[in-house]
Amino acid sequence: MNQYQQFPEIDFNAVKKGVGYFLIGVVLLLIFGGFRSMVFSVEPEGRAVIQRFGKVVDIKDPGLHFKLPLGIDTATFVPTERVLKEEFGFRTTVAAQRSQYAKTPQMQEESLMLSGDLNVIDVEWVVQYKINDPVKYLFAVREPSDTIRDISESVMRRIVGNKLGSEVLTVGRMAIADETLKDMRDILATYDMGVNIERIELQDVTPPEKVKPAFNEVNEARQQRERLVNEAEKNRNQIIPRARGEADQIIAEAEAYRFERTNAAKGEASRFTSLFSAYQESPEVTGRRLYLEMIDEVLPRLGRVIVMEEGGNAPLPLLDIGRNAGTGEKR
Amino acid sequence: MNKTILTSAGGILLLIILIGGAVVLQSSVYFVDQGEQALVLQFGRPVGDAITEPGVHFKTPFIQEVRRYDKRLLSWDGDPNQIPTRGREFISIDTTARWRIVDPLRFLMSVRDETGAQARLDDIIDSSVRDNISSTELTEIVRSKDWEVTEEDLQKADVVEPKDEGAKLTDDIKMGRNTLTRKILEEASDGLPEQYGIELVDVRIKRLNYIPSVREQVFQRMISERQRIAAQFQSEGQGEASRISGDTSRQLADIRSEARRKAEVIRGEADAEATRIYNEAYAAGPEFYALLRTLESYSKTLSKQTELIISSDSDYFRVLRNMAP
Repeated sequence: MNQYQQFPEIDFNAVKKGVGYFLIGVVLLLIFGGFRSMVFSVEPEGRAVIQRFGKVVDIKDPGLHFKLPLGIDTATFVPTERVLKEEFGFRTTVAAQRSQYAKTPQMQEESLMLSGDLNVIDVEWVVQYKINDPVKYLFAVREPSDTIRDISESVMRRIVGNKLGSEVLTVGRMAIADETLKDMRDILATYDMGVNIERIELQDVTPPEKVKPAFNEVNEARQQRERLVNEAEKNRNQIIPRARGEADQIIAEAEAYRFERTNAAKGEASRFTSLFSAYQESPEVTGRRLYLEMIDEVLPRLGRVIVMEEGGNAPLPLLDIGRNAGTGEKR
Repeated sequence: MNKTILTSAGGILLLIILIGGAVVLQSSVYFVDQGEQALVLQFGRPVGDAITEPGVHFKTPFIQEVRRYDKRLLSWDGDPNQIPTRGREFISIDTTARWRIVDPLRFLMSVRDETGAQARLDDIIDSSVRDNISSTELTEIVRSKDWEVTEEDLQKADVVEPKDEGAKLTDDIKMGRNTLTRKILEEASDGLPEQYGIELVDVRIKRLNYIPSVREQVFQRMISERQRIAAQFQSEGQGEASRISGDTSRQLADIRSEARRKAEVIRGEADAEATRIYNEAYAAGPEFYALLRTLESYSKTLSKQTELIISSDSDYFRVLRNMAP
């Protein structure tokens, strides 16, 4: 080994060493990186779709899993257990016990629709759905949530357009939700996008803001109608029973009169009958007795008794017509 | 010695081969995603059929390139259009469609990419929508085939029948929303040339509303309708209240007069009964009755204010007179 050879040899060793360290570093990095991308965990509320070179090869349930590193396998998480939600006509900005909602003019456009009698109604609703096939959900439709929104708006408008406005505002809510659910399921089934619509919930269903006061007026008028009728009926209920009572009283008083009158008559009649039978035994004596008894009773209390002699003076000159009245008053 | 060869020229050569191989491999292998399909182009010209199977595929390196197209269902969303219906009402209509690329080769040749496709779809769908909407009555667009409203429904729901409209609420719907949508889809599909490599899967009316100026008028109509109903309720309430209070007065008069009538009847009966009783008793001795009653009457009618001028020849005083001489 001479100096000439030695110099490059030492150089080679250094290069070799450097390349060696470099390679070791690269391998370590690869191992580390590879290991990191080999282990992944699937959250409990969903499943992961595994693609090898882009082709779906497996679906993993929640838990810790391995896959091939270096981008050979990729895992896409799909929340299959979560109930997903699309809101129409409003957005929940803070979901809590006292949730807060927002409504912008654009959202207003989502919820304004025509009823069958060509009135405008503001219908807010929520679509709840779950992903039942993660592969179809990822690879059947590019914009699944937009698709659900478009279909839901279309179906809701068709259903509301097929009902009277007043029906939509009052009794039709359940029917609308049911029909929308059924129609949406039918349409989404043709797209085969791995989604199941769970529920349609109608929220506020109201007339448009501008028309609301007029609707309230109707409600007030309806209330007023009830109130007027109720008051009139109350009045009637106060008067009629009292009048019936009074009528009964009048009749009862007449009945009382009847008893009094007939009893009095019966009493007098029986008194007369008794007297008469006594009288018949000796009419002369009884008649005279009764006459004299009357005289006994009457004469003493008379003001003045003037006995006129038959054929004597006329009594008139003796009378002072006013005197008796005057003295009568004094007594 | 071996070490020297490996680490010197041979090593470098190996490294070059490895790197070169990697570059060639990288250029000749491509992956197709599950939701994708791909075309291989050689100097810009397509080679072979579209690749629809996901996974690993190979091509000639460097001279061939890969174009990828979505295999999934794609959205088309048109701008809201203002279209007059057959009845001349201007409405704003927003349609949505679903389509997919079924033949990437034709797709590439005719419309090149999705932006191009969207533009063609705009033309085709908009024209189909316009044709169908402008030849259809608004009610036929809004309602569906199974629309069924009876007069009773209208009465129950306080609905005011619009007067200015030719069509009535109770009329049957000849076509309806579903059929109309299907017609729009069919016509748009027919208008879509096969060479585009596009399949139009669905077209739907997403939103349908009056244009803003008409909407304002509709609001006014709704308001006046409601006010009419409110006025009706008001007068109904007043009428009903008057009816009830009139009925109350009638009942009251009825009850009172009936009671008076009954009372009079009873009194009359009582008087008759009393008279009958008296008659029965007095008929036995009319003279005695006359005597008795006369005496009774004397004792009732003669009082301290009475001045009695009586003849000494009267029954009572006759004794006095006759005894005296």
